[in-house]
Amino acid sequence: MATASLAPPVTRPRVLMVGTAFATAAAVMVFLGLLGVYLAERSAVVTAGDTWLPKGVTIPLDQPNIMLATLLMGCLSVQWAVFAIARDDRVNAYLALGLTLLFGFMVVVMTAYLYSLMKLDVAATPQAVLIYTITAGHIAFLLASMTYLSLMAIRALGGQFTSRQHDGISAAALTWYAQTAVFFVIWLAIYITK
Amino acid sequence: MAITDTRPEAEPEVDAEVEAEVLTRSPNTVFGSGDHLTLGRLWIGASLLFGVAGWVASALVEANQIGDETLLATNVASTLFTAGRLSLVLLVVVPLMLGILTAIVPMQVGANTVAFPRAAALAFWTWLLSGGVLIVANAIDGGFGGSRREAVDLMLVGLLGVIAALLLGTVCMLTTAITLRTTGMSLDRVPATTWAGLVGGSMWMLTLPVLAANVLLVYVDHRYGRPSVFGVGANQFSQVSWAVAQPQIYAFVIPALGIITDLLVTLCGVRQAHRGFVLFGIGAFGALSFGAFAQPYFYPDVADQAVWVGFSLLIVLPVLLLVGAWVSTIRAGRPPARAAVGLAVVAILLFLLAVVAGALFAVTPLRLRETSVYASGHFALVVAAGLAAAMAGLFYWSPKIRARFANEPLAKFSVLLAFAGGVLGGLPLLILGFADRFTGLADAAGALHAVGSLGAGLMALALVVAIIALVLATKGDRPGADAWGRGQSLEWAPTSPPESGNFGELEVVRSPEPLLDAAESAEEA
Repeated sequence: MATASLAPPVTRPRVLMVGTAFATAAAVMVFLGLLGVYLAERSAVVTAGDTWLPKGVTIPLDQPNIMLATLLMGCLSVQWAVFAIARDDRVNAYLALGLTLLFGFMVVVMTAYLYSLMKLDVAATPQAVLIYTITAGHIAFLLASMTYLSLMAIRALGGQFTSRQHDGISAAALTWYAQTAVFFVIWLAIYITK
Repeated sequence: MAITDTRPEAEPEVDAEVEAEVLTRSPNTVFGSGDHLTLGRLWIGASLLFGVAGWVASALVEANQIGDETLLATNVASTLFTAGRLSLVLLVVVPLMLGILTAIVPMQVGANTVAFPRAAALAFWTWLLSGGVLIVANAIDGGFGGSRREAVDLMLVGLLGVIAALLLGTVCMLTTAITLRTTGMSLDRVPATTWAGLVGGSMWMLTLPVLAANVLLVYVDHRYGRPSVFGVGANQFSQVSWAVAQPQIYAFVIPALGIITDLLVTLCGVRQAHRGFVLFGIGAFGALSFGAFAQPYFYPDVADQAVWVGFSLLIVLPVLLLVGAWVSTIRAGRPPARAAVGLAVVAILLFLLAVVAGALFAVTPLRLRETSVYASGHFALVVAAGLAAAMAGLFYWSPKIRARFANEPLAKFSVLLAFAGGVLGGLPLLILGFADRFTGLADAAGALHAVGSLGAGLMALALVVAIIALVLATKGDRPGADAWGRGQSLEWAPTSPPESGNFGELEVVRSPEPLLDAAESAEEA
């Protein structure tokens, strides 16, 4: 091509942010697919006049409530990290990222505790298969988000992100928001509705 | 460079000779490459080879239907049927489209690389490994409903790996098209292939994860349960069969619409008339191909619901709109008698046949949904249409992908084979689908299955001939940057094949046909 009127240097939009958004959308669609099956199966059982959860199985609500509250606090702390790094306040950014990871770890522990209380045998019923697949899938999503946050925290410690370019932290925060939103739907569909 | 990084705009200065020597000697140029052309070639080569195997499997399944079905053991026939269906989509059509898009989209949008090149490489190698696991597991009685428990688990893990890899590759392609466009190239100015890639990739991002969710449920129940419902052998394939049925099957061939459009306007040497309608048509086709809701296993009455019927009938309209645009392009420009054009015409005919057959499938009084044979014919037509368009694209972009024009006589032979294979592979099964209404047809079932088997075999042969035509690309001088002499979009600006980084400096893009603009400006000057 002739180079008579050359384009100015291209200012790239947020490549990592867009890529993460697509990957996050795919992850969310996995849960929508699983929850669609869950609700269809639940509806079929309830319509037939049975109770959805097998007899003798109770799913306590305290732990899911605490998990939801913890994840919401994580949303605040991860936004704090984005806010801080956008102002070159690295100390606060490190603190916020660390706190978010701690919240994530607490949710993993709480889920394990909830599993021990539920006394639901995965081999027993389709209900158990669905509940374990969906909730464990969420834990996998949470762990992926924590891994992403950890990598970005390490990069931040290495001095990579600044107020002018903090895509990595923002993108990792997006995955945290998405997995919290997914948990909110799980909380409604599985733990509240039962 | 980390997996989340994209190559910077300006490459560091290196000695070109030293770099060339290192690159040509090192196996890293293939196994460790994040170059979009290398990855595109790998996707294309592997998916074409899988395609030959997939059509041979289809031919065997059809041949087994002749007479008293004694050609294959029952479990072998079942495995070939289920594995063949999913493989033709997840190991052939989608990766072939993804390969073409990975190779071409960065050049079309004026980018020097694909976004996240290492993630793109990870996607290909994960797909290849998972595809291998999938095939091996099927071969050792681990298909859907197979009797070897561990092999079935292995197959399901392989299937999840294939889907995850395709999604990762799609993320890289979509991010390239969204974020790496050159200055002035707004979304309404991207070439039709990139636009179709955006639409198709978005649909894959919305639907393949739902398929993964289905497979995950089957896996968890089969691996850890007794199984209870999802993992029971007889239920396994039913839960994922929506992915190879109407309307979802259309989603996997969306990029073909863009390939046909770009190929025809370039080879006809005219600007696309009513371009907005073409982009709308591709978008509408994409929206109407969303099939994740249509899961008959969980919603048995879905085919009687207005949404499903509406999708099946309405999808004919965007195809008619696009066919009108393509016909007007051909009439305006008189394309050369090249294999690429022939395959594009074959793909158009097969698309038309497929969407009309799909619309009839939705008409309940015809009772076409009572057996699976009509759906098999429809599936064969859609896949054949997608493959014909992909082969057309490969011959069209051969100067960029292979650095030479494809061997034209062989390519023309593949046109005949693809046409015969597509029509014979699908049409007899569509006719047999009417057997419930016309009882005499049942007597001809053996003959119709035999013709269907022949058609599938011809499609396998068409792919073999296409591979040979690409491998035996014409010797002699390398084609110039604008290999066809009528290039409109930016992929025809760099050399054939492009050097590392694709482009030097580019002008501001001011229309969907920047190269035509440049040529016209030069003439005026």
